[in-house]
Amino acid sequence: MNELLNTAPELMLKGTDKGLSGGTITSVVVTGIVVVFIGLILLILFVSIYGKIFDSINKSKAAKAKAEAEAKLREAAKGEVKPMASVVKSEKAPEIEDGIEEEVVAVIAAAIAAMGASSGKKLALRSIKTAKSSRSAWAAAGIADNTRPF
Amino acid sequence: MADLAAESGFAGFLADGGWKNIIMILISFLFMYLAIARGFEPLLLLPISFGMLLTNLPFAEMYHPEYWEYLENIPERTGELNSHYIDYGRILQHGGLLDILYMGVKLQIYPPLIFLGIGAMTDFGPLIANPKSFLLGAAAQGGIFFTFIGAALLNMSAAECGSIAIIGGADGPTAIYVSSKLLSKTDSIGVGTIALAAYTYMALVPIIQPPIMRLLTTRKERSVVMGQLRSVSKIEKLIFPILVTVIISLMVPSAAPLVGMLMFGNLLKESGCCDRIAKTAQNELMNIITIFLGVSVGATTRADKILTLSFGKVILLGVIAFSIGTACGVLLGKLMYVISKGKINPLIGSAGVSAVPMAARVSQKVGQEEVPTNYLLMHAMGPNVAGVIGSAVAAGVLLSIVQV
Repeated sequence: MNELLNTAPELMLKGTDKGLSGGTITSVVVTGIVVVFIGLILLILFVSIYGKIFDSINKSKAAKAKAEAEAKLREAAKGEVKPMASVVKSEKAPEIEDGIEEEVVAVIAAAIAAMGASSGKKLALRSIKTAKSSRSAWAAAGIADNTRPF
Repeated sequence: MADLAAESGFAGFLADGGWKNIIMILISFLFMYLAIARGFEPLLLLPISFGMLLTNLPFAEMYHPEYWEYLENIPERTGELNSHYIDYGRILQHGGLLDILYMGVKLQIYPPLIFLGIGAMTDFGPLIANPKSFLLGAAAQGGIFFTFIGAALLNMSAAECGSIAIIGGADGPTAIYVSSKLLSKTDSIGVGTIALAAYTYMALVPIIQPPIMRLLTTRKERSVVMGQLRSVSKIEKLIFPILVTVIISLMVPSAAPLVGMLMFGNLLKESGCCDRIAKTAQNELMNIITIFLGVSVGATTRADKILTLSFGKVILLGVIAFSIGTACGVLLGKLMYVISKGKINPLIGSAGVSAVPMAARVSQKVGQEEVPTNYLLMHAMGPNVAGVIGSAVAAGVLLSIVQV
C-alpha cells in the first residue's frame, strides 16, 4: 500500500503547493479513506481470527475439564464411594464463631470467591472471627475526631 | 531611569505591533480561566496558556520564532540545496528555555512519548472483544479527509491543508506531530495554532458532539441496549499490540512512530512483568512530557504569528473537521445498526473520533438520555481506541502524500 502511495506521481504533493486541482484533492481524499479502512479492516480480520482461535481453545479446554470431571464422578459412582466425601475432605468447612449471622458469612464468602475468580487463584475460607477491639473508648474518640473531615 | 523604562516590557507593548501581544496575553488569561474554573482539559490548556503568556511578554526572550524559520543551506556532505534547514547549533547556544523545550516538538519527540503513556493507560479489551468497532474508528477519520477538501478550496498550501485536516482526528499529539513535520515558514499558520485549535475542540467534545448525534439518529436507534461484551483472555491482549504494530507499520511506515509507541506502552501494561516501567510511562513520563509539550507549544503562539486571517480559517475548518468526523462515525453506526438488525447502537459511532475517553463518555450520556439503564461506555470505548489507531494511520497517510 505504501508503494502505491509513493509511486502514484499525482499523489506526491510538495508542502508549499497551492491551488490544488480538483483531481489531486479527490485522489488524496479517496486514497486516505481507502488506506485507513483497509488498514483497520485488516486488523479486524486478524483480531477476529485469533479471537476465534483462542475462543475455541478455551472452549475445548473447558469441555475437556468437564469431561474429566464427569468421568471421575462416574468412576466414583462405580466404586460406590460417596462422591461428596472427597469434596468435603479437601475443603474443610470454615470455623465460624458463634454469634456471626449466616448473611455475614455468605457476604464474606462471596467476596473471597469474587476475588479468587478475578485473580485466577483458588482461595479458601478457613474461619471467621469477630475482631477484638483493642482501642479504648478514649482512643476511639480521638481517631474519630481526627478523621471526621475525611 | 528613562533607559530602564525603555528596556522594560511595558515599552514593548507600546512598540509597533505591541497591542497584539496584549490581546494574546488576554487570550491566555481566557484559556487559564477555562482550564482552572471550567475544567476544560486543564492538564493541557493550563501549560499551553502559560506558555502563551510567557512568550508574549516583550523582551522576555524565552522563545525566538526567528530561530525556527527554515533556512536555505547547502551541506558540504551532499552539496544539494536543503530548504528546510534549522540551525540547531544556534538554538542550543543562544536559545531561551522554551526554545530548547520546543526542540522536542520540532524533532517529533514528544508526541510519540505521549502516545507511549496513552498506550500504557489504554485497555484495548473492548476493541478485541468487538473488532467491528475498528470500522467506526476508521469512519470517524472521514472528517480529516473532508476537511482537506475545504482547506484546499480556501487556496491553502498542501502542508496547511494536511495540518488543519488532522484536527478532525481529535488527537492533540497526532495533530502536533503532523503539523510540526509539515509546516514551514512560508505557511501562514504555525504548530501552536493547530495545537490550540485541536485541544480547544477536544475540550469542547461534550458540547459539539451531542447535537450532531441527536440530529442523525432516531429515538429508536438511540434506545438500543447492547449485550455484554465477551471477556478477553490475557494472551489476546498480549498479542494485540504486537499485531497492530506489525500490520500498521508495514502498511503505512510513516505512522510507525505513533502507532509503535502507543502499542509499546500497551504491551508494557499488558505484559504484567514491567509494572514499574508501565507506571512511569502512565504517570511521571507522561506528566513531564505534557508540561514540556504544553508550555513550548503555547510559546509558539507569538502575537505576530497568531493574529492573522489564517487563524480564523483554522478555527472554522477545525470545527467543521470535528463535526464531519462525528457525523461519519454516527452514519456508519447507523449502517451497522441496519446490518446487525438493530443490535448496534449508532451512538457509539461518534466515539470513533479519538478524544479518549471523553468521546466515549458522550456516547454513554446521550444513550442514557433515552434509556437511563443503558450502559454504552464499554461499547463506545472500542471505537474510541480504534479512533486513536485510525487517526495515527490517517496521519501517516497525510505524511506520505505531502512531502516536506
